[in-house]
Amino acid sequence: MSKAASRVPGGGAAKDEAICPVCKSSRYLNPNMRFLVNPECYHKMCESCVDRIFSHGPAPCPIAGCKRTLRKAKFRTQTFEDLKVEREVDIRRRVARVLNKTEADFETLRDYNDYLETVEEITWNLILKIDVEATEKRLRLYEEAQKAERNITARPYQPDPSLPSEKAQVVLKKGASQRKAVATSAANTPDSRANPQDGEVEKGFNFHGLKKYVPPAPEKPLDPFDGWAIEPQFYVVQDDYDVEWLTQTKNDPVATAGGYDMRDFYSRALCDAFSGFGVFVEDEIEARAKGLSGDANTGTRSAATAALGGKDVNMDDVF
Amino acid sequence: MASSPLVLSPQPPPSAPSSKFPPSNISKAKALALQHASTAPASPTGTPTPPADTDLDAGAQMNEQVRRQYVITKQIGRGTYADVFSAHLASDPQQLVAIKRIRLQTGWTNGITMDSIREIRFLSELKHPNIILLHAVYSTKDQKISLVLEHLPLGDLEEVWHKHHLPYGNADIKSWMLMLCRAVWFCHSHRVLHRDIKSNNCLIAADGCLKLADFGLARPFADPGRPMTHQVITRYYRPPELLYMARHYGPKVDVWSVGMIMAELAIRNFLCPGETDLQQLAMYCDLFGTPTEETWPGVSKLELYMPPSTQKGMDGTTVATRRGQPASFWKQRFSLLGDEGIELMRGMLTMDPNKRLSSEEVLRHRYWQVAPRPTRKEDLPRRPGSREDGEKRLGEDLKRVAGEREEVEGGRADKVARKLDFGALRR
Repeated sequence: MSKAASRVPGGGAAKDEAICPVCKSSRYLNPNMRFLVNPECYHKMCESCVDRIFSHGPAPCPIAGCKRTLRKAKFRTQTFEDLKVEREVDIRRRVARVLNKTEADFETLRDYNDYLETVEEITWNLILKIDVEATEKRLRLYEEAQKAERNITARPYQPDPSLPSEKAQVVLKKGASQRKAVATSAANTPDSRANPQDGEVEKGFNFHGLKKYVPPAPEKPLDPFDGWAIEPQFYVVQDDYDVEWLTQTKNDPVATAGGYDMRDFYSRALCDAFSGFGVFVEDEIEARAKGLSGDANTGTRSAATAALGGKDVNMDDVF
Repeated sequence: MASSPLVLSPQPPPSAPSSKFPPSNISKAKALALQHASTAPASPTGTPTPPADTDLDAGAQMNEQVRRQYVITKQIGRGTYADVFSAHLASDPQQLVAIKRIRLQTGWTNGITMDSIREIRFLSELKHPNIILLHAVYSTKDQKISLVLEHLPLGDLEEVWHKHHLPYGNADIKSWMLMLCRAVWFCHSHRVLHRDIKSNNCLIAADGCLKLADFGLARPFADPGRPMTHQVITRYYRPPELLYMARHYGPKVDVWSVGMIMAELAIRNFLCPGETDLQQLAMYCDLFGTPTEETWPGVSKLELYMPPSTQKGMDGTTVATRRGQPASFWKQRFSLLGDEGIELMRGMLTMDPNKRLSSEEVLRHRYWQVAPRPTRKEDLPRRPGSREDGEKRLGEDLKRVAGEREEVEGGRADKVARKLDFGALRR
């Protein structure tokens, strides 16, 4: 008895895993079998069944009792073993894509917490399939409001043609009994409309204490020089100078053909001559005195530069 | 000039200086300082910190101080010209640097190699976000100079198009090229010719910023009438006037190299991988047309110029095209760059250096202003792989002798030592 009891659940689980519910082929016959799910109804079936049934376009789910229309492109391998978890994660991802405010977007923590509660309410409504239509509508409203605010034309999420809310329109074309069922489900919605917050929501993305969205400042025109400007301060370079000792080079075709430009030389010569105008030794000494605490190092350093730069000082090493 | 002291005085034998210079070297140094900075208000009179080694002269002490600031962790590159180490600040292990230790070359037994002199000279002057930063210079006990450079762990620009299958687009090319052009413009506006611009020398920092490195062939603009050597710039990037052996040239040589890099990025291959200088020239003539006196005034005066009737084509037997490739060729091959990009690239790759865009005209080109906007440097595609790989690449790039390619793919191993023709200068 105990033996049988222990075997049955374990064996059952293994069986579920190994046999495709659609074609009943088992892993024993097909060792490479992979199971796929569609986030529409989360019914599991093997890869070859997906290929066979949905290759020619959308088709209804082959599992008995499930009438949803599935598309091949939406099939994927499941990430979580528990399909309920898989579905919850999918829903949360979808909600988070629309309702993605952070604490910094709100004025007070209280407002942020209220917002989080609304998010959670929407999420659980979708997970537990309570008021699905109204919730979806609300979510869509939020999304459109945000889209209008940010002025983003392309948004990754697009409503699925087979979502329940859209399906409502499809149902309306169907039989009277089904239409009645829709009417009863619609009767539930005023219930949620009575919610005071919902009244505000209808107008768009509107939460208490939400800071106004400030669009990022438009990018400045690109500065190819990156803010650097190297312009002579004390002189203006002319295109040509009539100097006797330069005329020979200036008119030498060999020099000009190779790309040697006299203007480069002019600007260099003028820079060498005049760029010292803006430098004042007193200022530099003052800056140095401010910047450095007096220690022996300063003396040594200037001594070394003097020894290296000054020609009249002999270096005290013989090498 | 230099923020870091370049001190190359060797450590003297312990007895020699004390006998020759009876007064302490420190006091002499202080006396020198006072003498040279006589206008300085109240020079520091506090007691000098007791020196660690009393038998070192002032220069050697400063050298010691700089050297002790860095802790070498490991070697990341080894070459005939230089060894490259990864290191960090002794005070802060988070601050990484790369140390390039130059090996003394056999040809230069007395003194520093020309390359390192140039590198130290220009890097200590040029401070720009797109030029590699030289933190300090010191020498070791065995007389080797070490350059403390910025640590750039994300490889170089050649790797971007060559080694990995990194996807990138026009906006990314624009961003890299803009950073490179800014660096080149900065060099030129300070009257420095880089003379070895190639995608190997465009290193990429940890934040995606491109940095121009390797100033081993740089020099200031020449005086009028002074000849320069034409044996500079790695061959694939060498402009036609240098191949024609022009000895008077200007900053436009660097602009050609930049144009070559842009073409490379667009086609993910070398535009003109010539195996010899003559073949390189033949490729240019095939692509851009053989220059004549009409298209390039004065070209026939250059030493190696060949008129279109004798200029050999790419395969060495036929005569090169006179007119170059038509516009449709460029439009098709470089479609990634867009019309403005092609216009800019062709402006940089103009045979006649006098008609070629200058580095400032390049930055004023409308290519930078039209859509797409250049990618922000943080969003640029990055090399995959670990940081160690990138560090290795940094080591390889820094150890290389300027002007030389170290590529062995396709059996093309031109590891022949570069010869700078200094004798020719005196002619």
